[in-house]
Amino acid sequence: MTIIAISSDSYRMGREIGEKISKRLGYRYLDREILKEISAGSGISEEKLLKALEKTPSALGMSARDQAVYLAHIEKKVIGEFLKDNVVCHGLAAHLYVLGVSHVLKVRVLSNPEVLGKELAPGKDLSGDAMEKLIGRNENARKRWSLKAFSLDETDPSNYDMVISLNKIEINEAVKSIAEAVGYKKFKAMSYSLKCLKDEETAAEARTILFPRFPDAQVRANGPTVVVITKGMKREKQKKALIIKEMVGKIPGVNFVEVHIVNDILRQAAESLR
Amino acid sequence: MDKKVIVLMLDDEPIVGKRLKPAVERMGCEVEVFEDPREALQRIDEKTFDIVVTDIRMDEIDGIEVLERVKKKSPRTKVIMITGYAMMALAREAMEKGAYDFIAKPFTPEELRKAIAKAAEALGTPLQNSVTQ
Repeated sequence: MTIIAISSDSYRMGREIGEKISKRLGYRYLDREILKEISAGSGISEEKLLKALEKTPSALGMSARDQAVYLAHIEKKVIGEFLKDNVVCHGLAAHLYVLGVSHVLKVRVLSNPEVLGKELAPGKDLSGDAMEKLIGRNENARKRWSLKAFSLDETDPSNYDMVISLNKIEINEAVKSIAEAVGYKKFKAMSYSLKCLKDEETAAEARTILFPRFPDAQVRANGPTVVVITKGMKREKQKKALIIKEMVGKIPGVNFVEVHIVNDILRQAAESLR
Repeated sequence: MDKKVIVLMLDDEPIVGKRLKPAVERMGCEVEVFEDPREALQRIDEKTFDIVVTDIRMDEIDGIEVLERVKKKSPRTKVIMITGYAMMALAREAMEKGAYDFIAKPFTPEELRKAIAKAAEALGTPLQNSVTQ
């Protein structure tokens, strides 16, 4: 069982490569089509889920809390799919939430600048400079988005096992290289990596439950134990911890919830000034 | 009579072998436990084991070295690595060097039994008592 998570500066190009690899290896292919299913299961519209994958929260747009909730639902579903079988995944930000899972081959595909320029500005005949600026702006926007959503830079090559530039090699060669790499022993699933994936799934499920009420919660899972760290005032610590324990304790397989409430210095300071 | 699966277990913490040996023996395996990696390697040179379970972080000789020695002597032997210092880079290194499985500590005896049962099956000698009673 191996998983390939593809990230690309061009959705169209990433999809083409993902589909070709899945066909070549006989793996299932997963992309934004799955948002329909997530929407049906969570009650969140497909449009909002897509927005969470593409836009950085802003004062006039989507709030950071909403984005965190939507992304948690996507993460939970995608990891659930990863636990089932051999999968090629593209366009669902998986490379950012399964970074520590050893049997996920993370691939970054950089498309040909001309192709990308045409995709970003369809129908426009841009000069070389204008195209370069447009691509640069797009890259910065993705960098901001990934840092905000997962505290990771999507454009940083060190977050990937493989970076392929389609400006240098053909699509079919890229597909062949990825398919070959997935056969390396180091990308084989093992008890530890499967446990990491299962823990990520549990943590994602806890986030879907907690984020609407505690958007700043940091969640980690280790087998049946879930650790939650969140901010709170001294007087509400006990109550908050009890609520979190009750909410997360309902997840099947979770038998211990550890809650750490750290002092909310800003709220405390604001209250003392009143 | 079915051939017994022969297992060598190496961990410098005595409690690990003491606790896991009976659990693995109940599966129908013949188990030898070692705490000293030098003694374990000496035994590996003398005898061919079907499955080797080794800790990674040990004084003097580490589990990766044990893995390399086992695979050099007997490529068919399945090596299961266990460690309290599990990280993606270490897991990948172990698999690259031929480990069959990699388990993070703490783990339950059942988790190890599952990994041993899977390894025995891959060797073509499925265990009769691989399911927890």
